[in-house]
Amino acid sequence: MPRRSSYASVVSGAPIIYQQPSRAGGFSHLLQQGPAAGGYLQQHQPGIHSRSGSRALDIEMYPGAGSISVPASLGRGSNHFGQTNNGAFGATHTLFTPSYLRNSSYVQKLADAHRARLSNHGYGFSTHSSNAGSLSTSSSSANLHKMAPSHRGMTYDIIEKEPQTNGEALMPLPTRWSDHDKLSGIDVLADGLEVRFIGPGKSNQDHDAAAVRADHAMPPQCGIFYYEVTIINRGKEGLIGIGFCGPNVSLNRLPGWEPDSWGYHGDDGRLFCCQSSGKDYGPQFSSNDVVGCGVNFRTGCGFFTKNGTMLGTAFRDIKGKIFPAVGMKKPGEHVRVNFGQSPFVFDIDSVMATEKELIDAEIAATSVASLHPPLNETSLIQALVAQYLAHDGYVETARAFGEEVRTEAAALQCGRQSSTSGSEAKEDFDAINRQPGLGIRTAILEGDIDKALKYTNAYYPTVLRDNEQIYFRLRCRKFIEMSRQCSELLTLARSSPKHSDSLDGLHNDLYDDDVFEQEMELDDQVQNGSDWDRMETEEGDAHMRYKNLTEETLHYGQLLQSEFRGDGRKEVKRALEETFSLLAYEDPKNSVVAHLLEPSGRVPVAEELNSAILGERFRGFPLPACQLCFFFPVSLGKPSSAALERLCQQTEVLVNDIGEDGGVGAFINIGHEFLSC
Amino acid sequence: MRHSFERRVDDIRISKADINAVILDYLINEGYPSAAKKFAAEANIQPAVDIQSIQERVEIRSAIHRGDIQTAIENINELNPQTSVLSMSKPGIFFLVTSTLDILALIIVPLKILDSNPTLHFALLRLQLVELIRECTSVPNGDITPALNFATTQLAPRAPTNPEFLEDLERTMALLIFPPDNLVPPLASLLDPSLRQIVANKVNEAILVSQGARKEPKMRDLVRLRAWAEQKAREAKKDLPLALELGLDLDDHPTSSGVTQGNGDAESMMT
Repeated sequence: MPRRSSYASVVSGAPIIYQQPSRAGGFSHLLQQGPAAGGYLQQHQPGIHSRSGSRALDIEMYPGAGSISVPASLGRGSNHFGQTNNGAFGATHTLFTPSYLRNSSYVQKLADAHRARLSNHGYGFSTHSSNAGSLSTSSSSANLHKMAPSHRGMTYDIIEKEPQTNGEALMPLPTRWSDHDKLSGIDVLADGLEVRFIGPGKSNQDHDAAAVRADHAMPPQCGIFYYEVTIINRGKEGLIGIGFCGPNVSLNRLPGWEPDSWGYHGDDGRLFCCQSSGKDYGPQFSSNDVVGCGVNFRTGCGFFTKNGTMLGTAFRDIKGKIFPAVGMKKPGEHVRVNFGQSPFVFDIDSVMATEKELIDAEIAATSVASLHPPLNETSLIQALVAQYLAHDGYVETARAFGEEVRTEAAALQCGRQSSTSGSEAKEDFDAINRQPGLGIRTAILEGDIDKALKYTNAYYPTVLRDNEQIYFRLRCRKFIEMSRQCSELLTLARSSPKHSDSLDGLHNDLYDDDVFEQEMELDDQVQNGSDWDRMETEEGDAHMRYKNLTEETLHYGQLLQSEFRGDGRKEVKRALEETFSLLAYEDPKNSVVAHLLEPSGRVPVAEELNSAILGERFRGFPLPACQLCFFFPVSLGKPSSAALERLCQQTEVLVNDIGEDGGVGAFINIGHEFLSC
Repeated sequence: MRHSFERRVDDIRISKADINAVILDYLINEGYPSAAKKFAAEANIQPAVDIQSIQERVEIRSAIHRGDIQTAIENINELNPQTSVLSMSKPGIFFLVTSTLDILALIIVPLKILDSNPTLHFALLRLQLVELIRECTSVPNGDITPALNFATTQLAPRAPTNPEFLEDLERTMALLIFPPDNLVPPLASLLDPSLRQIVANKVNEAILVSQGARKEPKMRDLVRLRAWAEQKAREAKKDLPLALELGLDLDDHPTSSGVTQGNGDAESMMT
């Protein structure tokens, strides 16, 4: 009973709002929900506040602020979410995606980590996130022993690691002005988004300014970091400095006047680069102006914008850990910051896009000759594809591809010496793969789990014994497939509306006499399915089949449960719970757990089994030792990835390496740009 | 001891569904209809386009590959460019079409592929000339009249429009003067089958673009990204193994993971 009700509430209750695809693209569109750029000024009017009009709930003004996963329907003015952010999680858990970073792999990692943290803190989202060996994960390699892949990227281990180990790798984005990293002469308001100069303290008014740093440094992994400041009140002289500085720079002067500090000042429009003498740069700025400040970590250059206009490169050779910073000097001076919670006035997205175009052009012009000499690009790709097809057991495709490549090569020969395009290896693979049982993958992909189990046991009897977690996942998938069929039959039976009542009754009826009663919350109105006999044959048939299949499914569920009940592993328990959650819905296809029924969920199961079979098949296969090394790198002790997969893995690590300090890699999101067709 | 880089590589998980999508995209884009059909079935993917529709591209490519340029040009001119170019349904296309020039091309090309692309048209005609020359020089005392006629009627009028055209034409005509079995490398390369491949690829790209598709498969970007990223990482002096093996060869020495440390391995390091 307790378990049912607890996860039923998880399934149907509020936390489901955190369930969203983990690709960056999946949530970035939410930014569009924010007020259009032109309307940003309105946000300073108290009237715009969605409910209370209170400053304390400022976060509500930014529907995008919680944009990690709020679905469109809940995003706008969702009171619930607003409270959640301000209450339970606190500001540190707030995550938003600045528009220009919506495709950033770094921000995607932040989002994944954020999600992982939420689920780890026991907020109950885990069953439905794509993490943690969930059955719905689309990552083929997730298994129950490894908490893993949310989707792609490098952050998979975050759940298990100590926060510190990845603390540096995943420096968060600045979100607000710091409450403590400031001088007392400055007051931080509105959840850290506004700062106001309240007084010079005592002593020498002329020399004492007060500055504040943001809560976090600008992460170089962004490639470009950008924020905007709206001057709410310029005070008497507009002595406001906007820029950035290192963590240890004294805060009693405006940004730019000290070493390791850079700023643009409103009173004279001058730039200050680590010294107290400035140089002419742009216009002065004053009340209602919006000043933007950006750093391109690839080039090491800083720039400013004013009211949406680029003012040009301001600084070069920017180095070190730098924080957004603002300083003021006269009473009344008051500014508000936008770190990307709401749309920017300046079109920073285009700057980002231009930067990406440059890099993409460079990549497109790169020669791949060094990857695998002497193969040229075309031959290399042919070899990679052929090897992948063979390695992963796409036998028919491998054969067809081989033929087409050979035909192509033959046409090109025209009597000259042949430069066969690296496809000889294919023959070997074909031979290796001419083994029975390769219909197994197809069977799973078609949802025929029984057939897959039968074939696997017949041809590779040890595979399921040695890979218990694969066996478990197959069994769970079988249950899901049965539920799926039930759901389909239900739709069929319901196509005749007059019978829907009796079907509802049937559903309850079935549960009424069954084992799951202790876990089910039943409707009260139990009817008996007495009017079967009145039905037309076809519909009656569908009803009958539905009834039978539902019973079968329940029975299978019992078996499954009793078989794995004793398994103490958290992943197994969770997967079981998730699977059985299908039972909570009369028509799971139209419920919040509908994603479990997606045929795409078959893919990881099929791939996992396939890998295990490959491993099994090559064990003892008479290959020279060096060839076996390829399939079994010693340190892994399991079948290795295909070369194409290896190439992707290497690329991911390489891109990460060249992006961590703000280099070119920061502008690349492999999953988003190179692996999504 | 395995290099830490390799260990990090091992920890990366790449979704097979993503790789499969890249493969299918490649098979369709580069014109392997039979493999594409089988793969869609075996990997259970619903292809975004009708696989049959790539047949005409394949036929044009085969014609170019076997040197039948006349047929290829006729087939290209028969293609009906789809007018749905502006309603590009794939959201990803903007990330791929990297330069504004390409986007312009997308809009302009539907008129007629070769008319709107003089460079491509010239490349095809030039290849046709090469094939005619190949024919007449491959036999002793072959008749060079067809080649000469073709050059004067088809290529010469176009050559003045572009200095590169002129240079290409002159270089090609030189093939008539020198004996085919003793050519200097730049001339020899004209007779190499790879020229057919290059032109065929360009034609394929132009057709794809005219149909509102990406001109190249993602796969090409992917391998280039891999090469580029390694280059950048080495420039930045990142800690990498000497060589990053893909594991493509079965009969080559094993990966750089240090599985074998015998003499053979040391030797291969030296070479």
